[in-house]
Amino acid sequence: MTSIIETEQLTKFYGTHRGIVDVDLTVTEGEAFGFLGPNGAGKTTMIRTLLDHIRPTRGRARIFGIDTTEDPVAIHRRLGYLPGEFALYDKLTGGQTIEYFANLRGGVDRAYQQELMDRLEVDPSRRFREYSKGNKQKIGLVVALQHRPELLLLDEPTSGLDPLIQQEFYSVIREAKAEGRTVFMSSHILSEVERTCDRVAIIRDGRLVRVDRVGALRDMAHHTVEIRFTGAVPEAEFRSLPGVSDLVADDHVLRMRVTGGITPVVQAAARHELSDFVSREPTLEETFLAEYGQEPVAEEAAHGR
Amino acid sequence: MLRSVFGKSLWDQRRGILGWSLAVAAVGVLYAGFYPSMNNPEMAAAIRAFPQGLLEALGMTDITSPAGYLGSTTYGILGPVLMVIFAGTLGVRAIAGDEEAGRLDVLLAHPVERWAVVVQRAAAMAVALAVAGALLFVAMLVASGPAQFEEVGAGNLAAATVQLVLLALLFGALGLAAGALTGSRGLAWGVVAGVAVLTYLANTMGPTVDVLAWSQDVSPWFYYSGGRPLANGFQAVDAAVLAATTLVLVVIAVIGFRRRDIAV
Repeated sequence: MTSIIETEQLTKFYGTHRGIVDVDLTVTEGEAFGFLGPNGAGKTTMIRTLLDHIRPTRGRARIFGIDTTEDPVAIHRRLGYLPGEFALYDKLTGGQTIEYFANLRGGVDRAYQQELMDRLEVDPSRRFREYSKGNKQKIGLVVALQHRPELLLLDEPTSGLDPLIQQEFYSVIREAKAEGRTVFMSSHILSEVERTCDRVAIIRDGRLVRVDRVGALRDMAHHTVEIRFTGAVPEAEFRSLPGVSDLVADDHVLRMRVTGGITPVVQAAARHELSDFVSREPTLEETFLAEYGQEPVAEEAAHGR
Repeated sequence: MLRSVFGKSLWDQRRGILGWSLAVAAVGVLYAGFYPSMNNPEMAAAIRAFPQGLLEALGMTDITSPAGYLGSTTYGILGPVLMVIFAGTLGVRAIAGDEEAGRLDVLLAHPVERWAVVVQRAAAMAVALAVAGALLFVAMLVASGPAQFEEVGAGNLAAATVQLVLLALLFGALGLAAGALTGSRGLAWGVVAGVAVLTYLANTMGPTVDVLAWSQDVSPWFYYSGGRPLANGFQAVDAAVLAATTLVLVVIAVIGFRRRDIAV
């Protein structure tokens, strides 16, 4: 398999704070790769280094086999980029914005451009500053996709979007993948990466802590369940259920961590009189804390890979 | 217009170009319109009563001749100041303004070389200033009959206007370079304003202070008006100095912009 993105000890120190440290990654052709980490972990730094907007402090990155600092334009010709914050020309309309970037690329297939706009229900007639965040992102997605790039770089593409538009994004990404394009997408939402990606790299404090198939992350995905009983707490019934751990019982309340499906817990709970049932998907930060504790990151990176 | 970075820059600036050009032309003509009231023996006598040093510092030694009058009014202070501010606006916005607004991120992810962005924006700035200059020239030419300064002639008016455009372009290129090197709009504006004021003073005050006499030679203002194009016609060497300096500044902008990290 051809590797599309290859980084070797890619490091970027950013002013006083650290950006990314010794990132070694290979993304192969046709895969959707998730770059997962909490806010401030270095996701945007990574993507901007790949784009050659910022230059590595040490190490290097190659895209399509080309060193990013040597011929960025040759790389840019073949990729599409959607930033997290899509700031553009306030006075141009959405249609003009799409047109301008199509012109800068040249050779954009108008029929495909129109098809994308129709599918995403982009209204091209309004001025850019009048669009909602979601509509700006849609225009950004058309700009990123209209030339049928071999590689899509998406920086937190769904943050701040309403769920309906999020679903559309996911289907566009799946489609791009189905057409053989490579997708590199950063996110801080575990379930989003699970839904769209084949492999995932987890980054924390600028370092990779794990690179794995998405399926292997299932054990990280868990729920925190809290059940309030009207009567006595039947702790023993839950202790032996699959996936249940960290069981804590106090007066009428049972708390536990459930890894995998929560059906057994729900069924067990349904046999009792309840006054409340709360199930919550933890944030990525909480998941990380549960998974990796708070040991120094350097050690984790060593076993992580 | 949206076919290239150059075309889009002009498109973005279309209202600004129109507004500034009209303002410069209007100020030029209004100012020049007072010439008939200066062109009489009483005024000449009044001017002679001022100390010679003061007149020199204000560039008003020859205020009663048409060339002298225009050289100390339209082409003396207000015209250049307006043109330099307009140029500074364009130059500072070209890189630093876009960068601070986060607008370079997507543009530079397209197959456009960084040097090409700088060069195309500099070219758009040159066109904008040339349009303003052309409008000023036409307005002055039209006003020259009614305002009694025909003896300056179309050739000399054109010469002074071309040198004015070159002066403005130089300060625009300075703003472009400072912005391209630092990515900071405020800093770039500071450099433009600081250098413009200091070099203006160097040109007018420098020669009156012995130890600062050299400073006039490094002032763009000297190469703009020192050869008195309104009286003596186009000063090719002076114009070449202005143009060459501008070119050097654009090259500095390209080199600086290619080397550094682009802010988010």
